[in-house]
Amino acid sequence: MQMMSSDMFSIPSSIRTFAQDPDANPNNLKPPPKKKRNLPGTPDPDAEVIALSPKTLMATNRFICEICNKGFQRDQNLQLHRRGHNLPWKLKQRSNKEVRKKVYICPEKTCVHHDPSRALGDLTGIKKHFSRKHGEKKWKCEKCSKKYAVQSDWKAHSKTCGTREYKCDCGTLFSRKDSFITHRAFCDALAEERARITSVAATNLNFRNDSMNETVINPQPGLLNGFAGRGGPDAAGISQFCPGFGPDLTGLPEMVQVAASNLFGSSSVGNFGSCNESPWLDKSAATSNGANLSLASLPHALKEEEGNKGSMVETLTSLYSGNQSQQSSPAAPMSATALLQKAAQMGSTRSNPSFFGNSFGVMNSSGSHSTTLNTLTHNRNELHQVFGTGKQHENLMATASLSEGVLAGSSLSSLTSTSNNLAQMMMQTSGKQTEPVPLKLHLGSNSVENSLTRDFLGMGGGESGRPFLPQELAKFASMGSAMGLSHFTSNH
Amino acid sequence: MDRTLFTPKGTYFFHHPTQQSNGTQPDMQSSNNQPQTSHTSTSRSSDSGEPCVTGKWASSLLKECARAISDKDSSRIHHLLWMLNELASPYGDCDQKLASYFLQALFCKATESGHRCYKTLSTVAEKSHSFDSARKLILKFQEVSPWTTFGHVASNGAILEALEGETKLHIIDISNTLCTQWPTLLEALATRNDETPRLKLTVVVTASLVRSVMKEIGQRMEKFARLMGVPFEFQVISGVNHLGELTKEGLGIRDDEAVAVNCIGALRRVEVEERRRVIQTLQSLGPRVVTVVEEEADFSSSRNDFVKCFEECLRFYTLYFEMLEESFVPTSNERLMLERECSRSIVRVLACDDIEDDTGEDCERREKGIQWSERLKEAFSPLGFSEDVVDDVKALLKRYRSGWALVPPQQGEDHQLGIYLTWKDEPVVWASAWKP
Repeated sequence: MQMMSSDMFSIPSSIRTFAQDPDANPNNLKPPPKKKRNLPGTPDPDAEVIALSPKTLMATNRFICEICNKGFQRDQNLQLHRRGHNLPWKLKQRSNKEVRKKVYICPEKTCVHHDPSRALGDLTGIKKHFSRKHGEKKWKCEKCSKKYAVQSDWKAHSKTCGTREYKCDCGTLFSRKDSFITHRAFCDALAEERARITSVAATNLNFRNDSMNETVINPQPGLLNGFAGRGGPDAAGISQFCPGFGPDLTGLPEMVQVAASNLFGSSSVGNFGSCNESPWLDKSAATSNGANLSLASLPHALKEEEGNKGSMVETLTSLYSGNQSQQSSPAAPMSATALLQKAAQMGSTRSNPSFFGNSFGVMNSSGSHSTTLNTLTHNRNELHQVFGTGKQHENLMATASLSEGVLAGSSLSSLTSTSNNLAQMMMQTSGKQTEPVPLKLHLGSNSVENSLTRDFLGMGGGESGRPFLPQELAKFASMGSAMGLSHFTSNH
Repeated sequence: MDRTLFTPKGTYFFHHPTQQSNGTQPDMQSSNNQPQTSHTSTSRSSDSGEPCVTGKWASSLLKECARAISDKDSSRIHHLLWMLNELASPYGDCDQKLASYFLQALFCKATESGHRCYKTLSTVAEKSHSFDSARKLILKFQEVSPWTTFGHVASNGAILEALEGETKLHIIDISNTLCTQWPTLLEALATRNDETPRLKLTVVVTASLVRSVMKEIGQRMEKFARLMGVPFEFQVISGVNHLGELTKEGLGIRDDEAVAVNCIGALRRVEVEERRRVIQTLQSLGPRVVTVVEEEADFSSSRNDFVKCFEECLRFYTLYFEMLEESFVPTSNERLMLERECSRSIVRVLACDDIEDDTGEDCERREKGIQWSERLKEAFSPLGFSEDVVDDVKALLKRYRSGWALVPPQQGEDHQLGIYLTWKDEPVVWASAWKP
């Protein structure tokens, strides 16, 4: 079964159809219309069904030279080669009679295209299908290690690999899929969806959530297909609104697909906080059956969820970020007022008189406002100005540095506003200071080292009697046996 | 004899302790043709009591101090501690930072206050630890450096291949990366060609720091798995003081499950004498595959030799700090946090004896891949990473800044014993896979 001809067999179709011949009219001056394309896998019933063997399908060099058995991909190439053998050029002529359309079935028995009613319409198509689905993946993308069986698929992928961007619900963009996935899993946007499910009346939504879970157990490929019919047309609608993503559905990043699909699921109904994209909604409502359930309730959800952000958003994914950037932790830029409020909040907790006793508990106010070293230096300078650097301000200086060191490691964005608070704290707690704290030998400009030494020398060890490095060092220098080192012999 | 070499970057100051020299003449043999007339950099003999503040001074000073402590030369100790204190800063350049954190450990060693210091540092860290801060920290770190993601990609690849075709997966996770490994695995499970299996993830937590955030992490994992469409179960085992106490029943391992054990940065937290027992415990769980990822350093074999251990510790953390400095932006808060987290480990290794006071304190005595392999060979046989997994890791490294590489690039029998992540040709992380 090597040659194509011996593998062919015809199955007469059993269904009659009209003969459709649009260019029969001789008076038709328009260019002949393109060949009509049937939907993939729904062949013309009149067509001749051809079953090729796997070997034939995978063969790359079908055209063999009869003299030397060299293989060529194209007939023209073979003919050129044959001239080298001084053989006449043998061109295949197109036969004049009407050729019966051929459709091809997949030899793999378990494949859906093995059935003649789902045969594919062209030879290249069936070859590619067979390779992709049932063949060995020999082509590998260098950048992301994704494997392909068909070289053209691999080439096409390589062109776009790494250029695609992934966008999370929270608005952050990623160029790398893996960091996108990891971020997404931990993103507050994910958590937010949960909050909205419970707030919106969702009996039907819960029902859909369950059914959605069932259908997605077999996603294939990517996650869209898991949502069966709902997924397909919706994604088409979505892709218009995501200019960053091409029309190739299989190429759509799974996250966006899922995020999109989630729209129709219960989990992200609330994302429509300030959605003004009614045409999109209508279209999707029309095209998806199951989604109608949730979409029907969406307008109500919309009204409930009308958030404080009224700006029009254009892309689908922006819809999420538009509403959520207010509530979630500021991965997206917050408004100035919101930031100030937050800073004021943090400032007020810091001016708590129990600051020093409980300094570390308070430190964790916000992990998301990060300071810069510049800010830190600036703040330190501020504090110096406030408290002076002379020896008479030793106590305050020490405590200022102390708190500095304590504060240094955590988020300090509100420190600029809290130097006054700090001053208050100083006043309040300086009364507690039982004994003056001697500074180290050389009060250099590097007061941070003060704070460091205090830092690691037992903050939790109690308020008095704490060993301080500079103090000890002073003792070391002057006395032979310092505390703690008395067991060491003096070697000179 | 003091020699100073001027380069544009700074002065490398080589200092010999027993000799004095006054009026150091700067050596004019600079490798770059720069007229060194303006000697703003001060390089003087340390014996004159003035600090040298240029170039890579921290390493030599610190080692000197370590030697002095080992020799119990108290006046020398005083002197060097004082000098280091002058120069050190956790906010300065690499040298200053290293000086700062190692000074702390040296001081604790000299004053035998290591344990107390460690406890304090742990308490401080715990109180400032939250889900938000931890998440931000580790995600940012993973974004700029493949230090942890290297192990993740390799382990996930090995796990997926070993459990291919199974429908019920149970992963026992004993790691220090807060479950950041699993989203990509979940996504891979969801997008596989065949049927999506069920996954049960059991996280074993020993460090108290991690316990508090695990609940939140678990919720996120569950949500994400739902998003991916993977049937998922999550549980945290936190009452375990000692990994040797783990049992199949305790972990909820059922007979119909295919088990994988994933240890990232976990084995080093086990007390050295207990390690053999723990590995045997892991064997008793009946896993199909065990993935082990550890940092490439040896603080274990030299634990009775302070100076040697110190030098190895310094070598490793110098690499780490330099890597951090080059990976993050200079003003990064995350980098600062990561550096601070090292302070605990450094104190623990250098200034704490491995004593009976084991309240779940993590040991932190790292071992190199070869050493771990010797241990693991007693219970398991090595499983090499497949070509696909190695390609995945290579592709991962390409996404980061240059300087990172993978060794061995897959050849010979040696590759069975794991792969190494190298930074500037220095192996820093070791990843391996094992089967029963």
